[in-house]
Amino acid sequence: MIKKVLVANRGEIAVRIIRACREMGIETVAVYSEADAEALHTKLADEAVCIGPAPAAESYLKMERIISATIISGADAIHPGYGFLSENSVFARLCEKCNITLIGPGSEVIARMGDKQQARNTMLEAGVPIVPGSTEPVMDAETGKKEAAEIGYPVIIKAALGGGGKGMRVAAREEEFEQAFLTAQKEAEAAFASRVMYLEHFIEHPRHIEFQVLADSYGNVIHLGERDCSIQRNHQKMIEEAPSAALSEELRERMGNMAVAAAKAAGYVSAGTVEFLLERDEHFYFMEMNTRIQVEHPVTEWVTGIDLVKEQIRIASGKKLSYAQEEVKLTGHAIECRINAENPAKGFRPSPGTITDMYLPGGKGIRVDSAIYTGCEIPPYYDSMIAKLIVWAKNRKEAIRKLQSALGEVIIEGIETNVDYQYELINHPDFLAGNTDITFIEQHQQELLDTCE
Amino acid sequence: MKLDMFKKTKHTASRKNDSIRGEKHPSVPRGLLRKCNKCGSAIIAEDAIADYYICPKCGGYFRVDAYSRIARIADEGSFEEWDNGLSSGNPMKFRGYEDKIKALQEKTGLDEAVVTGEARIDGRRVVLGVCDGRFMMASMGEVVGEKIARAVERATKEKLPVILFACSGGARMQEGIVSLMQMAKTAAALKRHSDEGLLYISVLTDPTTGGVTASFAMLGDIILAEPKALIGFAGPRVIEQTIGEKLPKGFQRAEFLLEHGFIDGIVERDKLRGTLSTILALHENACNGGHRQTADAGIAGADSAAVQVDEGAGIKEMNCERTDHPVFADLHGEIHVSGRMEAWERVQLSRRNDRPVGSDYISALFDDFMELHGDRCFADDKAVIGGIAFFHGRPVTVIAQAKGSNTKENIERHFGMPSPEGYRKALRLMKQAEKFHRPVICFVDTPGAFCGLEAEERGQGEAIARSIYEMSALKTPILSVVIGEGGSGGALAMATADEVWMLENAVYSILSPEGFASILWKDSKRAKEAAAVMRLTADELKEQGIVELVFAEPAFFTTECLAEVTGQLDKEIRRFIEQYGSYSSEELVKYRYERFRKL
Repeated sequence: MIKKVLVANRGEIAVRIIRACREMGIETVAVYSEADAEALHTKLADEAVCIGPAPAAESYLKMERIISATIISGADAIHPGYGFLSENSVFARLCEKCNITLIGPGSEVIARMGDKQQARNTMLEAGVPIVPGSTEPVMDAETGKKEAAEIGYPVIIKAALGGGGKGMRVAAREEEFEQAFLTAQKEAEAAFASRVMYLEHFIEHPRHIEFQVLADSYGNVIHLGERDCSIQRNHQKMIEEAPSAALSEELRERMGNMAVAAAKAAGYVSAGTVEFLLERDEHFYFMEMNTRIQVEHPVTEWVTGIDLVKEQIRIASGKKLSYAQEEVKLTGHAIECRINAENPAKGFRPSPGTITDMYLPGGKGIRVDSAIYTGCEIPPYYDSMIAKLIVWAKNRKEAIRKLQSALGEVIIEGIETNVDYQYELINHPDFLAGNTDITFIEQHQQELLDTCE
Repeated sequence: MKLDMFKKTKHTASRKNDSIRGEKHPSVPRGLLRKCNKCGSAIIAEDAIADYYICPKCGGYFRVDAYSRIARIADEGSFEEWDNGLSSGNPMKFRGYEDKIKALQEKTGLDEAVVTGEARIDGRRVVLGVCDGRFMMASMGEVVGEKIARAVERATKEKLPVILFACSGGARMQEGIVSLMQMAKTAAALKRHSDEGLLYISVLTDPTTGGVTASFAMLGDIILAEPKALIGFAGPRVIEQTIGEKLPKGFQRAEFLLEHGFIDGIVERDKLRGTLSTILALHENACNGGHRQTADAGIAGADSAAVQVDEGAGIKEMNCERTDHPVFADLHGEIHVSGRMEAWERVQLSRRNDRPVGSDYISALFDDFMELHGDRCFADDKAVIGGIAFFHGRPVTVIAQAKGSNTKENIERHFGMPSPEGYRKALRLMKQAEKFHRPVICFVDTPGAFCGLEAEERGQGEAIARSIYEMSALKTPILSVVIGEGGSGGALAMATADEVWMLENAVYSILSPEGFASILWKDSKRAKEAAAVMRLTADELKEQGIVELVFAEPAFFTTECLAEVTGQLDKEIRRFIEQYGSYSSEELVKYRYERFRKL
């Protein structure tokens, strides 16, 4: 069994992991940048090691420093959280070479699922439906144009190593293709140092439905139902809920089985997420597999009662799954709302600074995952998400009511946040009606901005 | 807030099975992490190796062992090693030398400090020699000299190009005078190789010093270097101790050598294979004995080029029409309108800063242009651009007097006024073209040779004279096109050619009109008047037989309409190469002699 975990992350997820370890009697080591010396995760862990200057590239992304910190602190495992090195197969391989247990799947699985082309091919073989797209890497616009004609417009151009909306463009017509391709490729080169692109058919107005899976090292794979993450701005999720208003029990079972098949095909171990795009006619397509714990994992935890981080640690320690598929029961409805230090009125510009005063809600059915406290600094170097407000109730309607009430209690002073914007969002008639798809924000952007001012 | 008040984890996790854990205790295996000797930071060794042995942090280059180098350069599995296992003994009976060699052989798995053999690069056969710095800093003793000499000799015999990767501390002290003689041995072998018209590419890597620099490393037809490689004769430490001064930053680095004209270019490691492959392609005819059959015909591969030129009949036609000056005649009257333009207007047009410059013609007319730098004496003059390129699949040497396209470029390029080192670079490239039987195409565009103290100190007059002298008897076709200003001797030094062509509004004269007016009338303001009497316009010069062809220009001639001119140029250059390529070198030199003799 793992005895000491180094948490290679910061913010709320680092705190979330440290809490799980504390509950399990596992010692924790935090790593922190010079900007995070007073951060909650630094203080909450049993030990903390400074790994470099504030920019992530100099600290949280420095593999050799994190490995060194693990060895000198005597930790036997690393939890990478999400972001940073969590889906970096090179880092995973380094850990393997150094006999460090990385809590997550092996380096090969990360590499295979991280390369979108390989991931697609794996799914194709496993019979998981995929969006029609290029089968070979596309390096130039000319070849791309030919492929796009075969795939059928509109097409979406994506960086093979991409994520977070970078290196991604939609071309609605052939005339738009070249420009879109070149722009996407340029972004991809800047962000991921790779010019390898791929294309696929662009599905209009789909929902983003993702399935949480758990797999142990003994070939057991289960799914914990879906999360509906259709409320996204620039491919960044804002609100996630479980279960989805769009899934019938029958569809859930079909998609869940596909998610399990996908995880099995990938040779997956640990907690992972299989993302699908769901069309209105209930056709669904595999999008990608995330080989890490996700930001929105609490909603699944709440409707299933399963602690995903603890399960990850148990699986990494070589234990079998604690649950069989038929033991997984979805109860009630959970919604997560991301609170970011950003200014919606100014193009969602990040708003770092000091939190001078704050009040966060609590009570029955309310969970706050966060690393902020009165007087803490929000440094400008990292992701702007500062808190997650998660609610649970018997059904979607009551959960929304609870979220409205709880969000109305949130007070964060000293920095700008998106709380008011989110408040308007969850009061929007289409959201209330469950009438959403991934273009929801795009469609209602101005309306939401106007009302929240 | 008092966050330090948090209670720490109460240890409840089982401490059993510690012995099992002991075996798999986290640790960093040997060799996984390395320290960069340039920036000092810890790096993951595998990353550096995967990235051509370059530090991912500082971009510094690590030394590459010979076999890894070969693996990156040669086609997979194509390398066949030669002469492995030679031994030199101990000529000076130097104490402990044999033991040291033996120990190194065991440690490195090498027999000596250089690996030689044959390989293919993109399918082209080539002889490779690669120094390995792990073996006594790849110093050159008898075995190193012998292996290189044998490889070069065999390349000479089999008509193969040679590529040597230098990396060496110099001569091997433990072998004394025998080591010194290796400089002569390798240089002599390369001379014979070169005399057979064969290509030798030298690649200088960090460090290349001493007797290796002063022999095979500096003798390449083309010399490339890796970025920041230390290259010099005397090592920096020795120089510092001798002169008692600290050396400036960047002294003796590859960039310093490029600036000082000693290397043709700096190539980053990931582009090295591709660059070598292009150079080999540009010299394909020179190797495999190809030049032997065609040497007499003036240029190599003339037959194959004739096939590549489409509409062979059109060429013939042009040949017939040539004496009628087809291009000029093709102007459909337009020329007569502009023909009334005053000479002074044309002088001004020739100087316009939006007029296309040498580099524009190079990119419009040629493929895969590879710029070669330096005069191998003093500097690389940016007022002259020269290199090798393909013209319709045939290698040619292209040299242009280079004005800039903007003020910044113009300052860097001395407004197209070459210094002595510019002419010496041009001449070096022409001699190289002669060796490889490539036609030379020059673009002339200069107000005149650079006028200044330094230019005189380094022999501007001598440089121009030498150019004219050598060009007059160069055994390969030379074509010069005056595209803008043809200023005096500075222009003639690149226009002692088989044919000289001009653009409609280019000028070519003994002196600038300003200078002419100032000398004759003591008033440079009478330049306009001077231009009228100097007979410096294209049509006037053609009447005098100074130029063969004149090319019409669009009304407003900029890079945007360059194609209107280069389209015509392209046709005529094809005709020129076809025609002059068919002459023997004796005929070529004879006609060129007569061309100037009659003037």
